[in-house]
Amino acid sequence: MTAEIVLAVEGVSKSFGALAALEGVSFDVRAGEVFSVIGPNGAGKSTLFNVIAGVHVPTSGRVVFGGGEITGLAPEVINRRGLAKTFQITNIFPGISVYDNVCVAAESRVPVSGRLPSLWRVPDVEGPVMELLGAFGLTARRDELAQNLSHGEQRYLEICLALATEPTLLLLDEPTAGMTPGETKDATALIRQIAQSRGLTLLLIEHDMSVVMGISDRVAVLHFGRKIAEGPPEAIKTDAQVIDAYLGGVDDD
Amino acid sequence: MSSLLPWKGWVVFAALAALPLTPWMTKYHMLLAFDALLFGAVAMSLDLLMGYAGLVSFGHAAFFGLGAYSTAVLLERGILSLWLCLGLAVVIVGAYAFVVGYFATARRGIYFALLTLIFAEVVYTVFRYTQAFGGSDGIQGLPSPVILPGVALDTPIRIYYAVVLYLLLAYLACRVLVRSHFGQVLVAIRENEDRARFLGYDVQRYKMGVCLISAVLTGLAGALYAGRAAYATPDLMHWSISGEFIIMVMIGGLGTLVGPIIGGAFFILLQEKVSSYVQWYSIVIGVVLVLIVLFAPHGLLGFRRGLRARPRREAAG
Repeated sequence: MTAEIVLAVEGVSKSFGALAALEGVSFDVRAGEVFSVIGPNGAGKSTLFNVIAGVHVPTSGRVVFGGGEITGLAPEVINRRGLAKTFQITNIFPGISVYDNVCVAAESRVPVSGRLPSLWRVPDVEGPVMELLGAFGLTARRDELAQNLSHGEQRYLEICLALATEPTLLLLDEPTAGMTPGETKDATALIRQIAQSRGLTLLLIEHDMSVVMGISDRVAVLHFGRKIAEGPPEAIKTDAQVIDAYLGGVDDD
Repeated sequence: MSSLLPWKGWVVFAALAALPLTPWMTKYHMLLAFDALLFGAVAMSLDLLMGYAGLVSFGHAAFFGLGAYSTAVLLERGILSLWLCLGLAVVIVGAYAFVVGYFATARRGIYFALLTLIFAEVVYTVFRYTQAFGGSDGIQGLPSPVILPGVALDTPIRIYYAVVLYLLLAYLACRVLVRSHFGQVLVAIRENEDRARFLGYDVQRYKMGVCLISAVLTGLAGALYAGRAAYATPDLMHWSISGEFIIMVMIGGLGTLVGPIIGGAFFILLQEKVSSYVQWYSIVIGVVLVLIVLFAPHGLLGFRRGLRARPRREAAG
């Protein structure tokens, strides 16, 4: 099964002053798979995501998405090409309702958006928005202000926002951060199921090995900004370098 | 009609329209009411920026003043059509706001406020210290603008109705705007600018758009003001006027549109009434404002928290 390559990261390096956060990282993500990037704290995972999503311009290397180069493009441009991102620290619109949160995300894809009539028209996105809220069990909370949701609900809302922009590739940055083990299990299953039903490709950053092993098709391991291993979860679990990095290397909370 | 404005709104505007028929409305009161409603409209325009997009402009007096000078320059040359005056104000203020907006929206928070202030101070300085537009005296003794051939805006009652009409149209426009897709995105930008970018919105474009709309509405108010006052002076552009606009929005209530209209009218009436009794009226006004901020921090009309940009539909069963 050689599916089409959706995202290609080619020799990406990123330095902040003297600190090399990423050094020559390359990997390909194929259509429909769940690809995970793991590594100890400070391995460069979030920097890698920020380079892909347009927050940072890499020092060298390129990122190709859907056949076009996206290196150094602005986040909003990259998003419009079909790449959506969730954040490790919950990043929602706190002072408006849950429903309005998802509406404003969904509306970024209606044809009227960005055109003059958007000054007076209200696009109807109720169908897809309610469907998303339903999928994440947030229907009953639709009129609640987003800031009043529980942590777990906010994590789900975060994913709803990204999904509402109808991406082909979804970047999830530690989606289960701060969840209890039970919540983590449910969330992992839900994410997997939604990705499959929507035909999404997932690129996942995780800290928690157990989450990754359950849902990933392939895993890459970062350590001190370098990729030290890549392969199916079973192979990664037994890789000597990976075990060394996780057990003998930097701290792990 | 009711989708445009609920019946309460129509009642309020009908009452405003009926006001001149009441016996106690002297010419003085009519002109005072003009000022109250006009500055209410200005505060409402500023609310689009402050309350919805979360951008504090410290340079709205420049938009107002440029609108006033647009009228003054035309009236001085004997071009009396009010519509041309308003048209010129849209062009001049729009062009200036485009430049200010381009630079100011590239920066956030305090830098946006500072850049709008700096641009406004430049405009003030040019009008105040060069003789191109009459220097510190401005342009005085203007004739009244003409609405239709033979119908001049020369009586208090006509002037009053002009501002009521302006307020109605501007309010309807703002109301439609904040409920539109554009308005939704503005609120999202206020709430979390970075997240809006990651949802595919070109944030700067939206900010520039709302700057332009807010500035043009303020400029139109300035153009009307010069028609009523028969002058345009650099004092209209002084930074303290921008500060007063911000205070009007704050005492009325951010992000409510109606609140700032009330705030602007309240401020003008308070200023006028207190200054007719004592010379140190700004102290009295200051105390009143401090009390409002302490005891009604969300403004006269801002008690409702969690501003809702979209009309609430029935909760899903």
